[in-house]
Amino acid sequence: MRSAIRTVYSFTAFIGRRSRKTRLFALVCGLPVLAAAVIQAGRLFFGVTGIDGPSIFSGVILAFDLQFLILILALFHGTSVCSDEVENKTLTYLTTRPVPKPAIILGKYAAYAVLLTVLVAASVLLSFVILSVDRLGDAAAWLRMFGSLGVLALGLGCYLAFFTLVGTFLKKSILFGLAFSFGWENIVQYFPGSTQKFTVMHYLKSLLPVGSSDGGALAFLVFRLEPSRPAEAVALLAVLTAAFLGAACLVFSKKEYLFDEQT
Amino acid sequence: MPIAEQGYAHWTGTFVERRLPWWPVTRLGIRLAFKRKFFKFAFAFSFLPAFIFLAGIYISERMQDFQFMVRGRQSVNFLNINPAFFRSYFTADALLFIMVMLMVLAGAGLIADDLKQNALQLYFARPLRKRDYIAGKLFTAFFFLLSLTLVPGLLFILFKLIFAGSFKLLVDFPWLPLSVIGYSFALTLFLSLYTLLVSSLSRNRRYTAILIFVIYILSDVFFGIFYGIFRNPYFSLLSIKSNLQQMGAAIFGVAPRYNIPWVYSFLVLAAIGTASGFILKNKVRGVEVIR
Amino acid sequence: MTAVIRADNLSKWYGNVLGLSDVSLEIEAGITGLLGPNGAGKSTFMKLVTGQMRPSLGRIAILGQDVWNRYALFRRIGFCPEQDAFYEEMTGWEFLTGLLDLHGFSRGEAASRARRALELIELVDAKDRLIRGYSRGMRQRLKIAQAIAHDPDVIILDEPLNGLDPLSKRKVIRLIKDFKEAGKTVLVSSHVLPEIEALTRTIVLLHQGKILAQGDIPYIRDLIDKHPHMIAVTCRDPRRLAAAVVGESSILDIRFGPDPGTVVFETRDRDRVFGLLTALAAGNALDVEEISSPDDNLQAVFDYLVGR
Repeated sequence: MRSAIRTVYSFTAFIGRRSRKTRLFALVCGLPVLAAAVIQAGRLFFGVTGIDGPSIFSGVILAFDLQFLILILALFHGTSVCSDEVENKTLTYLTTRPVPKPAIILGKYAAYAVLLTVLVAASVLLSFVILSVDRLGDAAAWLRMFGSLGVLALGLGCYLAFFTLVGTFLKKSILFGLAFSFGWENIVQYFPGSTQKFTVMHYLKSLLPVGSSDGGALAFLVFRLEPSRPAEAVALLAVLTAAFLGAACLVFSKKEYLFDEQT
Repeated sequence: MPIAEQGYAHWTGTFVERRLPWWPVTRLGIRLAFKRKFFKFAFAFSFLPAFIFLAGIYISERMQDFQFMVRGRQSVNFLNINPAFFRSYFTADALLFIMVMLMVLAGAGLIADDLKQNALQLYFARPLRKRDYIAGKLFTAFFFLLSLTLVPGLLFILFKLIFAGSFKLLVDFPWLPLSVIGYSFALTLFLSLYTLLVSSLSRNRRYTAILIFVIYILSDVFFGIFYGIFRNPYFSLLSIKSNLQQMGAAIFGVAPRYNIPWVYSFLVLAAIGTASGFILKNKVRGVEVIR
Repeated sequence: MTAVIRADNLSKWYGNVLGLSDVSLEIEAGITGLLGPNGAGKSTFMKLVTGQMRPSLGRIAILGQDVWNRYALFRRIGFCPEQDAFYEEMTGWEFLTGLLDLHGFSRGEAASRARRALELIELVDAKDRLIRGYSRGMRQRLKIAQAIAHDPDVIILDEPLNGLDPLSKRKVIRLIKDFKEAGKTVLVSSHVLPEIEALTRTIVLLHQGKILAQGDIPYIRDLIDKHPHMIAVTCRDPRRLAAAVVGESSILDIRFGPDPGTVVFETRDRDRVFGLLTALAAGNALDVEEISSPDDNLQAVFDYLVGR
């Protein structure tokens, strides 16, 4: 099984590196870097005051990455694990190889997870360097940045697994995905008490290091959160990821996928 | 044996070009959209803001029965039927979002599906010009978007006149119908061109659906980020939504939300529309050259 | 001989639509043609036999094992699907080696197998071009290549000659026959009867989800009692020939034309009439040019069985 996952991973990673959608999403990941550059340029060259680079990195860029970027990346790539193969009618080539069906799901998931983590990491790293250009010697800031990157990677993995599951059994996975990402995950966060715990975002926000911002101009990005303990959050995210992937493998193994002309 | 003896005869008639060559393309697009069950529900739901505002118009004429709502300045403003009321409807965040989602559902595949199925060759093997094809697709989007803008806008005016029993609204604001028509078409034209532009960028309807949504949302998110930091209203030019709202405020003669000339917003939207035209001209062709 | 592919009471529904109904058959080594008109159930059968769908009822087995979710079987099975679909951003070489990697071959082995497959279908020159730039025929040949590259024992080809020019068709037909010589089992699906006839005389005929006939073409033809055999004779004086045999009880009908000099006899006892005609031809100076059976072919078998 492991070697099968590895070969599917290599196959998918090869295609992924070449595909136009990867280039497009690399551009999307570049947008926070561009924003960071504009912000820093405003501060350094146009004398705009009141801007603290690291605060903006932790309060704005990371918030954007967490609440928007990883959701979009995961939605797009997670649903395409299965849906792309069905829509492009290339699924046959994979299912008529001596490869267990779960290995197809896991191999493709792994390839996308690695690819997207690299894109997000590059975006976060560049944004951090640009916004902290005059404080690059601050080791604590670097540690916090890597911690944040870890949280983003964890979130990406969990959302990717969820959307992989959605893509295996729903035809209209995009609509559902958008409703989940920008409806459920955004709204239920506001709900008091334990209700928040029914969102993945709750656990991610429980882990993300709190920025030095006092709110102020950035208050619109701060939601009411009753955080869970970090260990609990990590464990639950890991369990959810495994559960979503397990369910995806099960559905993919049992379901028949008919191409458009057969329905 | 000569062909003529077998009953073949050369047609000697004249070819009459259809008066609206784009109409079959539009009709097909509308029909295909309504074939999707979920879309019918979504389209019906999208009239909700219109019903809410229509209720507001009714309430404005029956103030004595709804005294309990007149509490504080905001409620009073809402219940004054004036250009600001119409601006509130046409530039409401919710309505704009609903229109974008409608385009995600009905417009994402307008050109993407044809590219995927290689249908462009079939279209252009008929007496159809490129502009007829693009017009047909455009008017498909127009159908849905004008249903949410022009139709409710004109109905608001009509119902206000009926409920008021007088032409006071038109006497006070004679240019209001023109504003409704003008902004409806401007908004519809921009969103249609935007949708077709994105739809032509990929053969995969899933990708274009996400792109239509993401570009719209992202533009607003980045505006929010820059505005939150720099407090400079010119960053509103980054946001598609803000530009549409600025233009709406100008057309209805109401003070805009951001203190920048509305012409800039119009230019940004016009630039996107023009770029859309150029790209569509390139993407829509019967023969694909593969290098 | 033991059956390589075996279906027992195989049925498949798509909701309320019946794709296959109670199909039982055994396919042995060699080339078997699966034919039928559009909507007959050929694609459904192909998808069931390649494990892409699960039977609603019954069983389908290859080499004694049920196909559904039996991934290890695919080491010994190669499938050429009907749909024209590829990973367009790969080259032909990358596509083949990538799929061979999935079989667990080492890089070197995958490369040599890919090269051999590309040589067989004559795509070596174009191997480094993007598949997006391939012609229809090249894409079809690449599909066949991916089905045979891992040297499977059972090769299942769904409309393999679609989109090929006549020369390529001949080469692929030759290739398929070579597989048979090598002891492999080949199942070929097509709705183009001359192509199947060029490949094999063993057929399974599907119509409306059911098996209409199975076996050797002449054997099936003989079984069709409802339609008497036709024997066409081309000679100098067809009317004199007809007059000579009109009294023969085994001849049911005599027709002239459409070509001048041709007479067609209908009979249920073909052998007797052949004997009679050859005797007449030898003795009566009729200058017989040709004696043939116009309906002893797959098209006629197909038409009779399908009821056209």
